[in-house]
Amino acid sequence: MAARVVKVSRPEPMTRRWMPILVGLGVAIKHFVVNLLGFARGRQDFTVYYPEQRFVQPPAMRGMPVLVQMANGKERCVACGLCEWACPTSCITIFPAETAAEVERFPEIFDIDMSRCMFCGLCEEACPEEAIVMSRQVEISTYSRRGSMWHKQDLLVPEAELKPRLDYLRPHYARE
Amino acid sequence: MKTVHVTVDGRTLEAPEGMPLLQVMLDAGIHIPHYCYHPKLTIDGSCRFCQVRIEGVPKLQISCNTPVRDGMVVKTDDPEVHQVRRGVVELLLLNHPLDCPICDKAGECWLQNYAMEFGTREGRTIDPRRKRGKRLDIGERMLLDQERCILCRRCVRFCNEITKTEELHVFTLGDHSKLDIYEDARLDNPYSMNTADICPVGALETKDFHHKIRVWFLEETASVCPSCSNGCNIMISAYRNRIWRLTPRRNDEVNDTWMCDAGRLNYRFVADPERLRAPLVDGSPATWNEALDRAAAALGDFTRRHGGAALGAMVSPHLTNEENFRFGELLRALGAGHLAMAVKRGAADDFLIKAEKAANGRGVRELKLVTGVDDGLEGLLGAIESGAVKGLYLCGDDLLEAVPEGRLERIFAQLELLIVQTLRPSPRFARAAVIFPATTFAEKDGTFTNHAGRVQRIRKATDTPAGWLSDGEIFTGLLNAVAAAGASFTLDRVWDEMGRGGTVFSALNLNEIGPRGMPLGAAGK
Repeated sequence: MAARVVKVSRPEPMTRRWMPILVGLGVAIKHFVVNLLGFARGRQDFTVYYPEQRFVQPPAMRGMPVLVQMANGKERCVACGLCEWACPTSCITIFPAETAAEVERFPEIFDIDMSRCMFCGLCEEACPEEAIVMSRQVEISTYSRRGSMWHKQDLLVPEAELKPRLDYLRPHYARE
Repeated sequence: MKTVHVTVDGRTLEAPEGMPLLQVMLDAGIHIPHYCYHPKLTIDGSCRFCQVRIEGVPKLQISCNTPVRDGMVVKTDDPEVHQVRRGVVELLLLNHPLDCPICDKAGECWLQNYAMEFGTREGRTIDPRRKRGKRLDIGERMLLDQERCILCRRCVRFCNEITKTEELHVFTLGDHSKLDIYEDARLDNPYSMNTADICPVGALETKDFHHKIRVWFLEETASVCPSCSNGCNIMISAYRNRIWRLTPRRNDEVNDTWMCDAGRLNYRFVADPERLRAPLVDGSPATWNEALDRAAAALGDFTRRHGGAALGAMVSPHLTNEENFRFGELLRALGAGHLAMAVKRGAADDFLIKAEKAANGRGVRELKLVTGVDDGLEGLLGAIESGAVKGLYLCGDDLLEAVPEGRLERIFAQLELLIVQTLRPSPRFARAAVIFPATTFAEKDGTFTNHAGRVQRIRKATDTPAGWLSDGEIFTGLLNAVAAAGASFTLDRVWDEMGRGGTVFSALNLNEIGPRGMPLGAAGK
């Protein structure tokens, strides 16, 4: 194809260079005035005074994965190992054991290495029992690396507390 | 036997006349789903899964029960065949419990695979699933879940045809059919755990592997069972450097597709907490180099004072051919006078279980390390008792069981020098100058020679701690210290030397020993 010249329209080089400075100042002054007036009228401020105040995360938020604890105090997990398999960072370790109860299998060891977890939620998606879900828990910093290894007892969260997340999940992962 | 030609989907296959059509197609790599057909069992035809269209026959035929005829034209890619496969999967899933998350078979389950491949992904029934017995304790080592059973009757045929013990049966008819044991029987035969292998679903499970580990985490290594001289071919399944189960591997020359329960359960000694983990010098832990130096010094000192003829050695039938060959070289360098081998003996039958409870007794004899009906044991013990032999290099602890207590005590009391290579420490070895930890079959490469003279490869499945020396490396280290031989222990080099050494192994080539092994006499090259 033959070359052809296309004329494009470009903005003229800026001439009044002091103009943006005035615009920026204007924005700052506007906010100052609006806030001053609002404050005078008793408007609530939108800063959350953490840690005295906490922001309630929406259910779609993916915090650290936890185990659902049923009303009888037991975990819902049957140690099927699908989350362990799905986990891209291999942060889950499960060793199953047997009980005489009707659901005969439970995790004897269920460890999550939170220093490896990347909050992707694949464990939650893989779980056939709604036993592992992403919670609202994000305060997981520790003083040692060993502290970031969470064991089964630390991971159990009562089902009632996780209800918003479970309700949010069902339409997403429900199978016909 | 006459060879016939059949055409399957346009491909012409050659097969001996009378062979099941299914087997012919499977051998040719054609994927035909099947449950009840097993190459080592009679044909049952109960699953109806392997149906194909055969030209000239009005209805679909089950290919397992159709012997091949010359000129047969078979179609597997046929709308009706696909419909039958969908139908079979749907029928089997009607009452199958969805407990895959807790089923040990999940991941290697034929029903799971075929449901993914041929299933419709939706059920059309509104009736509840039928209730049956779960977790039934049907034997010392076996559990039965009747809900999961798809009634292929492989296990029933196994108990009727292979073990001939006839414990299992499918009771009642039609929809009421269920697999169970007879009232007065329990599935306790010495081969009972094979039923879990051949069960295509999770109906029969071994108690040993029940709720242990998901199969998809297991790393499998082809090896040979170390528990008796039959040398059954096995797969070692390991995860996180630990063995979780042994399963039989098909070798028609040795064990078909079976193995005994005793052999299958004999893997815990590898991870035994009692196992010796570091060499002991005069009873206290030492580094490998200290132990090697001490052993070499003690052996050199002993042979200088008493002459090599006063040194006796117990060769272990648990070590590989290569290790024993190197041990033989070491003993020759030391001029050892008496060599013997003790082998544990136990029950035997006329199928797979052999009396000699060690994997490589034949290999030691073929290397001409020991001679005589009792493998020189009586000669060595007599020589120790008479004072002719004052030092003993003891490999393995079979001696402790082969010789009565009182005599054992006298013998160990008379020894001036004792060097031991063993898995477990024993109070008998209290006076040993050096005790080296031995290495198990799962932690090394090598070959075993089974009772019939078949040389088979074993392969490393789990790792030993860093700095660990295997038995062969200990022998080599000592040989280098005693005779300045400059030898190293790799399979290739040892096989070169074995070939030059004029042993029976010189007729074989290490690299030609395939997954099925090779008989000593056959001389592959």
